[in-house]
Amino acid sequence: MATPLVQLRDIHKSFGGIKAVDGVSVNLHPGEVVALLGHNGAGKSTLMKMLAGAYPIDTGDIVIAGQPVNIRTPSEAQAQGIETIYQTLALADNLDSVANLFLGREKMTPWRTLDDHFMEVQARKVFHRLNKNFTNIRVPVRRLSGGQRQVVAISRALYFNARILIMDEPCAALGPEETAMVGDLVRQLKADGVGIFLITHDMPDVFGLSDRLAVMKNGKLVGTYRTGDVTEDEVLGMIIAGKRPEGKAQTVRAE
Amino acid sequence: MNQNLPVWRRVGIDLRLLLMCVLLAALGIGFHILSGGVFLSPENLYNVAQQTAVVGIVATVMVLIIVARHIDLSVGSVMGFVGVLIAYLQYTSGWSWQTACLAGLAVALLVSIYQGWLTAVLGVPSFVVTLGGLMSFRGAAFLVADGKTQPVNDEFFQRLGGGYDGGIGTTWTWVLAVFVALVLLVRMAQRRRARQRHGMPVEALWLELALVAAPIVVVFAFAWVMNSYRIPSKDEAQGLPIPVLIWGVVAVVLSFIVHRTRFGRYVFAMGGNPDAAALVGIPVKRVTLMLFALLAVLVTVAAIVSIARLNAGTNSLGTGMELYVIAAAVIGGTALAGGSGSIFGSVLGALIMQSLDSGMLLLDVPIGRRMVIIGQVLIAAVVFDVLYRRKFGEN
Repeated sequence: MATPLVQLRDIHKSFGGIKAVDGVSVNLHPGEVVALLGHNGAGKSTLMKMLAGAYPIDTGDIVIAGQPVNIRTPSEAQAQGIETIYQTLALADNLDSVANLFLGREKMTPWRTLDDHFMEVQARKVFHRLNKNFTNIRVPVRRLSGGQRQVVAISRALYFNARILIMDEPCAALGPEETAMVGDLVRQLKADGVGIFLITHDMPDVFGLSDRLAVMKNGKLVGTYRTGDVTEDEVLGMIIAGKRPEGKAQTVRAE
Repeated sequence: MNQNLPVWRRVGIDLRLLLMCVLLAALGIGFHILSGGVFLSPENLYNVAQQTAVVGIVATVMVLIIVARHIDLSVGSVMGFVGVLIAYLQYTSGWSWQTACLAGLAVALLVSIYQGWLTAVLGVPSFVVTLGGLMSFRGAAFLVADGKTQPVNDEFFQRLGGGYDGGIGTTWTWVLAVFVALVLLVRMAQRRRARQRHGMPVEALWLELALVAAPIVVVFAFAWVMNSYRIPSKDEAQGLPIPVLIWGVVAVVLSFIVHRTRFGRYVFAMGGNPDAAALVGIPVKRVTLMLFALLAVLVTVAAIVSIARLNAGTNSLGTGMELYVIAAAVIGGTALAGGSGSIFGSVLGALIMQSLDSGMLLLDVPIGRRMVIIGQVLIAAVVFDVLYRRKFGEN
């Protein structure tokens, strides 16, 4: 069996005595989409924020492509090829799309100043790939539509060649057309061998895009199943009651 | 690009700053008429420019502090403390002015790092930290020399504050004006070439030339006014006062930091969305500490200019300055909510505040009434800011 791209092993995280993530282990393989499901407060976003370097881990191990890694900051996660599209999009509303795309990873000239022209040209290319009508890239992103803002957030993952992509509710604020765009993109990245963790509440997304699904409740993992093996009712049973479907095998990877 | 935008917006004209320019001109003309032709005389303009420099220098960096969603209420007290210290080290301890200034800078950095550390690392609101600092460092200013005024006598040092020998002379003023004009023109040409090289559309040449011509005209007009003021006992006119030169250099350097460096971009990102800044990997604490360190440097510069101008360090130096500095930043378009502001705006804001103050002084408005008005002007600026942003949907 090939080495998983990501192994999260027995991860724990508490906030002031409350166990937000309690002994969760999940794997992710190249070219695989794993949906992370659960109620609000189940711990899925917290788990992903630890992988993204936004929260330090209390105990547990992260293994990337067979190598144990110590991820303490977002920059260290980025260095591992981990990109995150947050539900909030993590955009600085007062800056333009180009600045947001490169935020924290600006291209500098040899004189240690911002290379604005380079960044604008590159940004134009990557935005164009996602949305051909997106041209007002020099206005503050607060003036953009929800779909355009999403394009900027997704572009970060594309431009910096994500190997592991975390998408937190990527379609929550989008119209049908833009949701379809995100779906196409997920399939395309999957074909390129990117591993994707997809946090979502939307059942059509789960069944349309994911290979496997992992359900969390109260910080614990209920179970991990091949998406094709379970029904929507069984998934809802896991999310709501924490009840494992009878006679269905758990799985660490989709075959 | 952005063909749907009106021309003035596409070329980067800020409607709000334009409005402030108009307001400044209106103030100037209004006071000129009311004062019977004194306000716009070269002598008065020379003094106003020179008096504004201290507030202006600190206001440039206050813009960045407010942009990053912080505030510093202690700038006046810290400036007083550092100013008295530098004067004390020269007068009472007999240090050279250079060593005294470096020691002052070191102390200012310590103060700023202390306040910045409480704010950035421990997460205490900067409002509280610096409100305490406002009181503490005013006290420290008293303690340095036990409340005694410390004269400074070094002739070169005194020139840093302007005054009798504090102009750079007519020749250098013209040279500087020509230099600034050339830089503006070259930058415009470079920007056009870079855009063409990257296949981006450029505006019509006449339009860009007109946009560069406006500031050039202002620069030459200012140089001409400064070169028209001659102190009766001297042969040559004053030219640009050194404090104004320092202020200009500070404003250019800070504009450069804002637009061309990572640090400047991070300050704006942190102000626009602190959570996003942390999530994309910006070292928020380090940038905040660097920002407070930058403030310390400029407060020291302001303290030096200020004691050089007064020829002494007193424990009341800079009292109430925080209000002028914050008002200058806000009048210049800095949002108290953070995330937006401009250095050039703070220059205009400082000029508006000082013109108002000097104008009223010239008209013999009593001190009580002046304070009432200046305080309300700050509030009016914030009200305008709130209404403007609501109208143009910037929040």
